[in-house]
Amino acid sequence: MNCEQARTQFVDYWRGTLEDSEEFRTHLGSCERCRAEAEELKDLWGTLGNLPEEDPSMAMRVRFYDALRDWRKQEAQRRQPLWWLRHPAFQAACAMALLAVGIGTGYVVRGRDSAEVSQLRGEVYNMRQLVALSLLQQQSASDRLRGVNFAYHVEQADPQVLSALLTTVNHDPSVNVRLAAVDALRNFNDSPVGRNGLVQALARQDSPLVQIAILDQIVELHERSAVSAIQFLLSGQNVNPDVRQRAQWALKQLQ
Amino acid sequence: MYEASDSSLMQAVRDGDLGGLAVLFERHHRSLFNYFVHVNGNRDLSEDLVQDVFFRMLKYRKSYQPERSFTAWMYQIARNAHVDSIGKRKFEVEIGDREFASTNMMDENLKRKQEVALLKRAMARLPLEKRELLVLSRYQNLKYEEIAGILGCDIGAVKVRVYRAVRALGQIYFELAGEKAS
Repeated sequence: MNCEQARTQFVDYWRGTLEDSEEFRTHLGSCERCRAEAEELKDLWGTLGNLPEEDPSMAMRVRFYDALRDWRKQEAQRRQPLWWLRHPAFQAACAMALLAVGIGTGYVVRGRDSAEVSQLRGEVYNMRQLVALSLLQQQSASDRLRGVNFAYHVEQADPQVLSALLTTVNHDPSVNVRLAAVDALRNFNDSPVGRNGLVQALARQDSPLVQIAILDQIVELHERSAVSAIQFLLSGQNVNPDVRQRAQWALKQLQ
Repeated sequence: MYEASDSSLMQAVRDGDLGGLAVLFERHHRSLFNYFVHVNGNRDLSEDLVQDVFFRMLKYRKSYQPERSFTAWMYQIARNAHVDSIGKRKFEVEIGDREFASTNMMDENLKRKQEVALLKRAMARLPLEKRELLVLSRYQNLKYEEIAGILGCDIGAVKVRVYRAVRALGQIYFELAGEKAS
């Protein structure tokens, strides 16, 4: 083995991964230059591996999770089959058209029994509620996501929809669906059952993303009754560091 | 407890479960951050680049091939992100010694402290290509195959290039140590 061949094995020698070392050792034994270089650089290699690591700031993690959540929202929106239905321009056009139709119909049916209209309105509402409830029970996560979106548009705080949403927040296997359901619970902010359900859901979550979303919403609602639930969460042994940080922040906001 | 491999998590991300990316972030953001800090010497820029890497993973998730090492794929994206960040500037970036001086070395003894400071100064003077190779092979402890995959060369070439990088580092290091001693 000559010097050049020996040098190609230096890195393995430093790493301790040199397999067939007899020839190599013979060369090191006979060539003083190679031996000196191998030993001198071996120390440097050792120091290089022990350089202290730098820690990124906490803000980096927060930024990452914020951006991930935005991405997820956009993705969920894109995945919906008729996503353009929710586009503001389309909705504005529909509103104008409906207004025109409404005014026209009003003139035509003036004097007719208004009970018929309110019955129709009730049916539409029931239909929307039905769609939300049935979609929330589908196998496919994207269907359930659509269900959550329907639940968003049930105008009145319907107890059945609320209970379905809370079941989703607590038991849905998909983090995406759970996150969307937490969001949809905003519709029920005025309902004590909804607020209470949100606080109770905190302890049941295993996903840091959902936990953080719930914590944010609790702070938004300024729900003081959540303090003990947050303290309980913090007392757990395996709390994710981000969740811990956000929970501590939430406690400060609530106090 | 069963822990999902990087590759299976990335496959899940590829198939639409974005939650896997959060786990990958928790596993790798620190080493990626250190990779960038060693390569560009700028903490703020490095944080931006780490974020950039994870969102490139999302953007290009369909191109992930599970039979390839996830780490190699990640560092390949990291290299591209770095190259794009320096834009039209020359690939070789000069890093001031000062920028490398910020680490917490409170509990270390003086000799080691000096050794580390000197080594960082020497690293900063090394051409980018060699510096990067040392970060990947020693600091991040990647396998030869992974580095070969990232750099697009064979394992033999990686060994030779790592050796040359260490020798170049040694030359600068001992030169600096000599300056200091004299």
